[in-house]
Amino acid sequence: MFESTSHEHNLLARASLDQCVKCTICETQCPVMAVTPAFSGPKFVGPQAERYRHGESVDHSLDYCSSCGTCTLVCPQGVKIAELNSVARAAMKKDHMPLRDQLISRTIMMGAVMRPVAPIANAVLANGAARWMIEKVVGVHRKAAMPTAHTRTFASWWKKHTPAQSATAGKVVFFHGCAGQYFEVETSIKAVEVLEHLGYEVVVPPQGCCGLPLQSNGIFDTARGYVKTLAERLNIADDVPIITAAGSCAGMLKHEAHEIMGVDDPAVLRVGGRTREISEFLLDLADRGKLPLDFSPINLEVVYHVPCQVKGQGMGKPALELLRLIPGLTVVDSDATCCGIAGTYGLKKEKYDVGQAVGKPLFDKVRDVNPKLAVCDTETCRWQIAAATGAKVVHPVWLLHQAYGLS
Amino acid sequence: MTDTIIVGAGLSGLSAAIRLAQAGAKVTLFTFGLGGIQLGQGTIDVLGYSLAGSRPTPADTAITDPFAAMSQHLTGHPGHPYATVPLASIRDSVDWLAALVPDLLTPGDGVNHMVPTALGGLRPTYLIQPSMTWSNPSSIAVVSPRQIKDFYPRLAAANLTKTAHVDAHGYHIDLPARPGEVDSSPVAYATALDRSDFARRFVELVANAIADEEVIGLPAILGLHPDTAESIARALGRPVVEFLLPPPSVPGMRLNVALTQRAKDLGVRVVIGSKVTGFTSAGAKVTGVVVAQAGRDQTYPCDHVVYAPGGFESGALTMDSYGGVRETLFDLPVVGATAEDLITGDYWADQRLFACGVAVDSAMTPLDVLGQPIYTNLHAVGGLLAGAVRWTEKSGDGIAITSAVRAADAIVSPGVTPTTNERTR
Ligand SMILES: Cc1cc2nc3c(=O)[nH]c(=O)nc-3n(C[C@H](O)[C@H](O)[C@H](O)COP(=O)(O)OP(=O)(O)OC[C@H]3O[C@@H](n4cnc5c(N)ncnc54)[C@H](O)[C@@H]3O)c2cc1C
Ligand code: SF4
Ligand code: SF4
Repeated sequence: MFESTSHEHNLLARASLDQCVKCTICETQCPVMAVTPAFSGPKFVGPQAERYRHGESVDHSLDYCSSCGTCTLVCPQGVKIAELNSVARAAMKKDHMPLRDQLISRTIMMGAVMRPVAPIANAVLANGAARWMIEKVVGVHRKAAMPTAHTRTFASWWKKHTPAQSATAGKVVFFHGCAGQYFEVETSIKAVEVLEHLGYEVVVPPQGCCGLPLQSNGIFDTARGYVKTLAERLNIADDVPIITAAGSCAGMLKHEAHEIMGVDDPAVLRVGGRTREISEFLLDLADRGKLPLDFSPINLEVVYHVPCQVKGQGMGKPALELLRLIPGLTVVDSDATCCGIAGTYGLKKEKYDVGQAVGKPLFDKVRDVNPKLAVCDTETCRWQIAAATGAKVVHPVWLLHQAYGLS
Repeated sequence: MTDTIIVGAGLSGLSAAIRLAQAGAKVTLFTFGLGGIQLGQGTIDVLGYSLAGSRPTPADTAITDPFAAMSQHLTGHPGHPYATVPLASIRDSVDWLAALVPDLLTPGDGVNHMVPTALGGLRPTYLIQPSMTWSNPSSIAVVSPRQIKDFYPRLAAANLTKTAHVDAHGYHIDLPARPGEVDSSPVAYATALDRSDFARRFVELVANAIADEEVIGLPAILGLHPDTAESIARALGRPVVEFLLPPPSVPGMRLNVALTQRAKDLGVRVVIGSKVTGFTSAGAKVTGVVVAQAGRDQTYPCDHVVYAPGGFESGALTMDSYGGVRETLFDLPVVGATAEDLITGDYWADQRLFACGVAVDSAMTPLDVLGQPIYTNLHAVGGLLAGAVRWTEKSGDGIAITSAVRAADAIVSPGVTPTTNERTR
């Protein structure tokens, strides 16, 4: 366990830099390099610059890296490029972390503060003058997608909830994530209802933030504490799968805590190994012939976009395969690298235009295929696509919920 | 429906995936990173040179008809991957691939094309993209934006004068792909040229820079979109030929995107970013592969495996510090690995290491030292196969495609694959 963000601490990623053969594959796929000459790209700021970093940053264009992870995914030599970048950026910003990055990283705080005053908060965020002020004072772009606050939390629903049928298929832990608690309450509810419909006994231990927004903003020390506490809470028994509809938080538990922040905590590793995004879990059942396929048809054509943090888990596009099992539903793969939000990147006033340019091919496709509805697994990506296109963007579980006749 | 797992997304893995999916198989492809197609030149080599060793001499001339030259080449290269398949299947396989991407590859006509390189040489290849047609012009204007760092039009022109006996002149234009960019990657340039407003400015500058040469040579940056090169040529009103560049290869990216899309359209499940790190077996059958995913190892059961992991360049073959050569996933025996002097200090000498690899039968089933299949439902294809130094022969693409097609066909209709070599065409 390393407590610093100094460049030496990230041994795992640093050990991979010598594997770079300068093939340029990462450069051809980096979505940021494709839209701005201000960023010198993954090969330069990653394995190349890392060689010369001794606490000092040698290339400040590094801050343009959105940490989408595409480069790591496509590198055929196993260089942990995005991980190197994340650590180097944390080191670069350590002594002058902007207040904005501190604020937007604390999802629980934002959710908890906004909830009791949800109508007011939503009104403020919908108000142009207020957003202009926020941009000037805090540095969040006035047009950036912001979550909608709800007066109801997932916890308040769960407290009053009784399953519609008795459990026959065993126990699963449901990990809702911060967004699933405060902003994406409907998604959490639908996920639980689908799992219960399939006969699972859903357990919801008290839980907190996984620390991902802090990690992606380079605030590692606090993030490490968050993820450890969360893992202890979710680790109720060794053989109980942990299911989540928060795809990016799944990535944090599965590998990012370990690979980016050097967390070796046994509870984190054990929980990470048992965490499944809900589509991954259900597709695995389908592959083994154990998922009931009694779906009612949904006659629609929609774009499905796989978020970077789900792709980064090396499991392909489970939601795409799963949704294609629903009769009548035509699912068009967005084939887009990134929506441009990359966690909180696209919110920032100096990155907003880059984020919009990155997402443009995706937005165009959504407008083209079905401007009313699109599907995507993670909340910040959904907010980004919705804000840019005006489409309603839902988690895949919404369509499964409907196809099972639950809505 | 058969469950087949492909390991690798290079030319051989994608070819096998597409061929199997066309036959109705259920295919999942795992790959650790992108495959090698966009590191190549975006054409398809079958056989370009037949050298005695690795060292080309001035007497070595490019092969005109690769299929006619094949028998003789294989006599001099026993254990060559092409020697494991019926010779007719090489041309059939390559033709099949060309037909998959008709917008991108010109159909093969039995003879090699010569294509110009960044240094102003001409190299043989079999299938080309239409933008690479070399028509033996009497004069050529070689033009490049200053912002493209890996192409020097005057150098290329000067060399072409000698290699192709053509009246060649080099010209620069000044047009950044994006405002203020002094050093554009070929991909950034190609992306800019895909926009008609930028392409129009480019065409104007090129037209103004040159004299009345017959043909215009440009670096291979003419769009990621397959139609861009043709519309630029139309606007210039003269034949255009793309010169091959070092990676990243824009024509290679066009081919990679088109084949990957083809595989996805046929229902192939493509899983990128996961390394296959192990396997399960029962007797002489592989029953599943172990994939290292985020946070855990996941075993995927299967009926067949097509192993298309490339060679040394992708880590499928490795050499340890004692000179021991190994195949890293299935621990298949590596042919040629015990020879002395696998690598020598003379760069141009015969580097036997690069002909090391896995031996297979005509169904691409890996063989043990006694020539017996090791796992009957495992098929090894592409850069992993023993017996050829692909970059001196210019044979790697044809080997990758032919072996993939053979493996796929053996899976789909096991009885049909002949088990003996047919050396006829
Ligand atoms: C420097 C050089 C120059 C060359 N020049 C030429 C030439 O001029 N002409 C020519 O015809 N050939 C040439 N070749 C050879 C040609 O590149 C190869 O023969 C061809 O690309 C092989 O394709 P492939 O599909 O077998 O492998 P590759 O394109 O290498 O693809 C292998 C894929 O498998 C993946 N992979 C490997 N192991 C695993 C695993 N365990 N789990 C998951 N995925 C895995 C890799 O990441 C990669 O994506 C050259 C090769 C080199 C190295
Ligand atoms: S893809 Fe990997 S090996 Fe290739 S240049 Fe990038 S970091 Fe280096
Ligand atoms: S993480 Fe994403 S934005 Fe950053 S260098 Fe890699 S591909 Fe580019």
